[in-house]
Amino acid sequence: MKKLQHTKIWVLVSTIIGIATLQSCSEDFIDVESNQETESALTSDRAPELVNAVYNSLLVWEVSSFAWTGITSIASDDADKGSIPSDTGVDKHLLDALDITPTLISVGDVWRGHYDAIQRANQAINRIEQFDDMDPDLQDRLLGEAKFLRALFYFRLVQTYGGVPIITNINSLDDITGDVLSRATREETYAFIEQDLTDAIESLPEKSEYPILELGRATKGAAKTLLAKVSMYQEKWEEVRRLTDEVIASGEYGLTPNYEDIWKEGSENNIESIFEIQSRGDDPAAGVDKYSTIQGARGEGGWGWGFNTPSQDLDNAYEDGDTRRDATIMFAGETLFDGRVISINAPNPRYNQKAYSSALTEAEVTGKNVRILRYAEVLLMNAEAASVIGGDVSSPLNQIRERAGLEQTSATSQVAVWDERRLEMAFEHDRYFDLVRQGRAPEVLNSKGIPFQSGKHEVFPIPQEQIDLSGGVLTQNPGY
Amino acid sequence: MNFRHTFFLFVVLTVQSVFSQNTITGTVTSQNGDPIPGATIIIEDSNIGVQTDFDGNFTINASANDTLIVRYLGFIEERVYVASDKSSYNVILKEDINQLGEVVVVGYGTQKKEVLTSSVAQIDGEELAEESVLNATQALQGKAAGVQVIASDAPGQASRVVIRGLGTVQGGRDPLFVVDGVLTDNINNINTSDIESINVLKDAASLAIYGNRGANGVVIVTTKKGRTEKVQIKFNTYTGVRDILSTVEMANSEQFVIYSNEAARRDLQNDNDPSNDNDFSNFIPTNQAFNTNWLDEITQLGLIQDYYLSLSTGSENIKAFFSAGFNEERGILLNNDFNRLTVRSNVDYKINNKLDFSHKVGIQLATGTPQSFGLFTSAYKQAPIIPARMDDGTFGSSIAINNVANPLIDATNAFKREKNKFFKVQGAFQFDYEIYKDLSFTSRFSIETEYGRFYNFRNRLGRFLADNPSNTESSFEGGVDNPARTRLTVTHTNTYRWFVDNYFTYNKSFFENHNVNVTIGITAEENRSEFLSATRNNVPLSDNLNFNLNNGDQDDTQSNSGAISVTDRLYSYLARINYDYKGKYLLGGSFRRDGSSRFQPGSQFGNFYAVSAGWVVTKEDFFDDTVFDVLKFRGSFGQLGNQNVPFNIVTATTGSGGFYAFGPNQDLQQGITITGTVQEDLSWEVTEETNIGLEYKLFDFRLSGEVDVYRRVNTNAILEIELPDVIGFDPFNSAVGEVENKGIEFSLNWSDKLSEDFSYSIGGNFSFNENEISKVTNPFFSEQIGGFINNGEYTKKIAVGQPLGSFFLYEVEGIDESGDFVYRDNNNNGTIDEGDRKFFDSYLPKYYASLNLSVNFKNFDFSTDIFGNFGNKIYNGKKAQRFGNENIELSTFNNRFTSGRPSNTTPRAFNDVPISSDYYLESGDFVRINNMTLGYTLPEGALKYFDNIRVYASARNPIIWKRFSGFTPELPGDPLGGAGIELDAYPTLRSFYIGLNTSF
Repeated sequence: MKKLQHTKIWVLVSTIIGIATLQSCSEDFIDVESNQETESALTSDRAPELVNAVYNSLLVWEVSSFAWTGITSIASDDADKGSIPSDTGVDKHLLDALDITPTLISVGDVWRGHYDAIQRANQAINRIEQFDDMDPDLQDRLLGEAKFLRALFYFRLVQTYGGVPIITNINSLDDITGDVLSRATREETYAFIEQDLTDAIESLPEKSEYPILELGRATKGAAKTLLAKVSMYQEKWEEVRRLTDEVIASGEYGLTPNYEDIWKEGSENNIESIFEIQSRGDDPAAGVDKYSTIQGARGEGGWGWGFNTPSQDLDNAYEDGDTRRDATIMFAGETLFDGRVISINAPNPRYNQKAYSSALTEAEVTGKNVRILRYAEVLLMNAEAASVIGGDVSSPLNQIRERAGLEQTSATSQVAVWDERRLEMAFEHDRYFDLVRQGRAPEVLNSKGIPFQSGKHEVFPIPQEQIDLSGGVLTQNPGY
Repeated sequence: MNFRHTFFLFVVLTVQSVFSQNTITGTVTSQNGDPIPGATIIIEDSNIGVQTDFDGNFTINASANDTLIVRYLGFIEERVYVASDKSSYNVILKEDINQLGEVVVVGYGTQKKEVLTSSVAQIDGEELAEESVLNATQALQGKAAGVQVIASDAPGQASRVVIRGLGTVQGGRDPLFVVDGVLTDNINNINTSDIESINVLKDAASLAIYGNRGANGVVIVTTKKGRTEKVQIKFNTYTGVRDILSTVEMANSEQFVIYSNEAARRDLQNDNDPSNDNDFSNFIPTNQAFNTNWLDEITQLGLIQDYYLSLSTGSENIKAFFSAGFNEERGILLNNDFNRLTVRSNVDYKINNKLDFSHKVGIQLATGTPQSFGLFTSAYKQAPIIPARMDDGTFGSSIAINNVANPLIDATNAFKREKNKFFKVQGAFQFDYEIYKDLSFTSRFSIETEYGRFYNFRNRLGRFLADNPSNTESSFEGGVDNPARTRLTVTHTNTYRWFVDNYFTYNKSFFENHNVNVTIGITAEENRSEFLSATRNNVPLSDNLNFNLNNGDQDDTQSNSGAISVTDRLYSYLARINYDYKGKYLLGGSFRRDGSSRFQPGSQFGNFYAVSAGWVVTKEDFFDDTVFDVLKFRGSFGQLGNQNVPFNIVTATTGSGGFYAFGPNQDLQQGITITGTVQEDLSWEVTEETNIGLEYKLFDFRLSGEVDVYRRVNTNAILEIELPDVIGFDPFNSAVGEVENKGIEFSLNWSDKLSEDFSYSIGGNFSFNENEISKVTNPFFSEQIGGFINNGEYTKKIAVGQPLGSFFLYEVEGIDESGDFVYRDNNNNGTIDEGDRKFFDSYLPKYYASLNLSVNFKNFDFSTDIFGNFGNKIYNGKKAQRFGNENIELSTFNNRFTSGRPSNTTPRAFNDVPISSDYYLESGDFVRINNMTLGYTLPEGALKYFDNIRVYASARNPIIWKRFSGFTPELPGDPLGGAGIELDAYPTLRSFYIGLNTSF
């Protein structure tokens, strides 16, 4: 009995020790592997993915959708707010009336969206530059793509706000020192953009040199076209001419025979396309957030919110027989090319046809590629450079007119190019900044009742919240 | 390694001591002669002890000159000297009506209350069994100072417990619950009748032993043990009804039409579009056919029934306790039911004189049918002119006038079915080995696992057709992504955790007067969770098929998802020492070193400690006061942690956040990026607490109480950092704040026994707590806004110098001559803008108090307790959310501004969404009778087979005095979320029960 008692004790004591052994005897016990992808996943074999994520920025709401449409289009004379009176689109009625304050949501959205995108581009550039174990050709191309995109984002910022803080490499809180938050001048900002684009031109292949499955990536032609546009905004006309001549001579591009076809699904990335946002509407969708929905017809039989509607003034600007009018504007009561009917009772008389996505009308993200740079603009820039510094204005200009079903013109003035540019590029996020660039925004807009003030409305205000957050390091634009 | 060897040696070197003894017998009785079963008799300075049997008899082997210590919970300890010539003793224990128990359960052990230097509140389990309390957290309300319970009456829902104020925004705010050694998140699974005691640890001195989890306080629940020799069976049951304690009177159809038409006419007058002139299409005809009371439509009388059976027995070597409980509730909201089965088995084995083994295992099975509490908001807002149902049985639709869904559609489950099932097992297996006389070793393994199953079936097409009579099957698209007429989603979740605790306890008196109590040990734990969710479209409609995932579409359009959490592990060292000299001068220290896998290597280990001291003045020789029986001062300081903070890793953004389509077929290519940064060494929050306390007992222990003053500062509260946008990083969390809670707690109890037939006690406690974000050290601290009420308006903001959960609103100055709100231009810039908002108080009460009374007269017992809280604000969210043509409260209708009757309190009829202002902010002060119970115990002579029969009637929340005009002033939630906002909230209920307690 006594013996048994002892055996029992030993069994139990061993059990206690057994349990205690379960517990690891060292502090290694708490070293647990994460089961999520963290920074350590960003190795050189994922370099293309780092750049893909920069392209992905083009799809986000703040970069390409409501705010950007509001600032580039609704604020101009091409478009009205649209929709119904009680739906202001948060602040689109204020943009329409140029009643602009530093607290507008749209002003904050464009700022934030583009800097988020720049962060991704910086990250891709800085990391890819560090990789020493990858194919140097691919490395070079990817850096070129990221720099092209970063230049595009900074160009949109300088158009919108003037000189902005140039952020190139911030990885942690410790990097936020000194005057990193303060604004560069407009000239410094442009110089930075030009450097990125010069690098990109160096690194990028032509459109035809890409494998077919990489269609949609930034090309040498795209970088040259963007640099031409950036140069045009600085009135560097020689540059504009040189670059546009090169693009024309490259033989990579041409005009789509029928203007209306440019914005159809089947014409995505066609001969005229130089750079466009690839928008996939089929599930899994990867398209621009609500781009078509915002601008779709509203009300009875409609599918959208009805914002950014073509103005009466734009409608009136087309000559008789200009095929671009019907390609740009969907009229209430009209039957579209795909058979869809816009209700005669729609709350607005006109809608933006260039944002219409036929097959995926009601998709949350649009299935329509948003055209950013196309060959027609190269011709227009080429013509405008010629109109300023001499040269052949007519032939590029008349290529455009001919395609629009119009007669040849002998006009060679810059104003003639501007007028053609308005109609050709309506609703392509160009008009407001174009008028400012031309220096005639006050006269054009004031004559149409839009209260543009010289010395103020050339740029939009820096978001007030960001000025506050910077402790006053960011400075406000004049007049706001 | 070393550690394991060390205790192995201790075990091996242990020797059993043997000595000669005499057999002593005796009985233990109470003052009125009743035998006390289960009293312990211990020979002083030894660990030899026995318990009395059911008749109060005991037998123990003791030597002459030994001293027997006789103890029983609730009685004053008695000491008996064993004379050499006497072998039988009758011990009479005096009831200690002022003391809940002689020992207090603290982390990893117990301590004597009289030498305790920390602030610990105790609640005796018997108190909970006397009344019909639905869940254990609710039972805490009003029971202890410094413990705020925000009650919820929703079926199966736990109340929120806040101990000594909120100390964090981003981190976890709930206290740590410890059930028989299992560290867990809540105690919903515990049947209140199984509870032996609840101890609430409040100050650093008691909490530091829980280190990284101590900062929000700890609630320790100890479940019952087998006790008596004879098998004792208890059967308790109660049943009752519940309904809404306080409702809001709404406008009727006639009034609604008048108000809505006034608002519509007013909109027209402001309309600049001339084409709308004479357009009266928005006007609602008078003479409406219906006058629906929506709240009545969706609610019913709630029913509750509860059954509880327990078995308890014990012999020298084994003590066993078993219980089974079943609770079923029909909620006041239609189809919102809950039932719960609990089973518990607690067994203690005495293997020999040295070794004890015990296991405590509890199982819970719960089933609920959830409903959205948004139905209460819909009922509040829906127009009375809309019929609940049409003559043909279809649901009335308000699509023509407003966007409120008919709440009866969901309430009747016409187009959905939902069910949640939970299975939880909690168990602890413990060895206690007495290594040497004063040294013992405890090894405990415990686990907890919970399975949840969630079934959710939606008839989407049916719902679409019911929402709007003009909808047809052909117009149902459900969006491009969801071409599903019906949809079933089944989700399985599992959480799992285990613990190993090994510790030594050393208890020794040196030179008579120096008493030392040491605990030292190591613990390890692991937590994991996972979920799996599957969806199928177009599942058949018939009830028996629609929870079956095998039915429905076979294509790949359904989405499935699942995830396994990162394993969360802790490895900790703990130590505590308590010393007292003659029970007069008390010193304590505790320490815990916690290593947590949640944090980055290098920041994983943290040290937490507390020191404390006490002085029992009444034990001093010079103190010769007949009034004071006990007067004790104590003070403590310590550091506590809160590891329940957001993870400090940045996960790569992939999937839809990174991919992009390339190529002629728009093939997706993956993308990856990092969109944020972190504070690299982010770790637990550290709370420093200072506590000074006073305990007193006076007038022969009849008056007792405690006073505590504390200051607790979360020195590195984690707040959100929002960098300027140009940096391009997402907001992230960083330890840059300081949150301070300062308070006073006060409790007072008087109890007396006037005669054998009449005893009573009256007590109360009072707590004051002041909360504030006292400091922020980073310029990019984001003054986060919150308290969104789903109409585009927010109501709360975090800022330095303000308490957490402060309301930040426009201020209404009055009503102007056209009947509109006039807002105060607080920044004097001539317009009303964001800069005019100002801080109002927080939803956190500054004061809360309770009062309780119990009276025993002959066979009757009566108890009541009253709870109140003061000094906080409540936002009337359901009223403030208003969109056009929704119903208004009767008082709004009656007091509104009209051209004939100007008002300076209530604006003219309007249909606009109101901006958030203090017009909707109301006082949160309330006093509520928590419980009133009257019981009658049948006289003993009348019982044949029963030991005891008690019948009682009980009312919970029968009366409330509140200043808030809504349904309930008790609104749990997150400080930046819905806390203190009445929107989609469950009303406070009153309940009436009758119950029966028996034992045989």
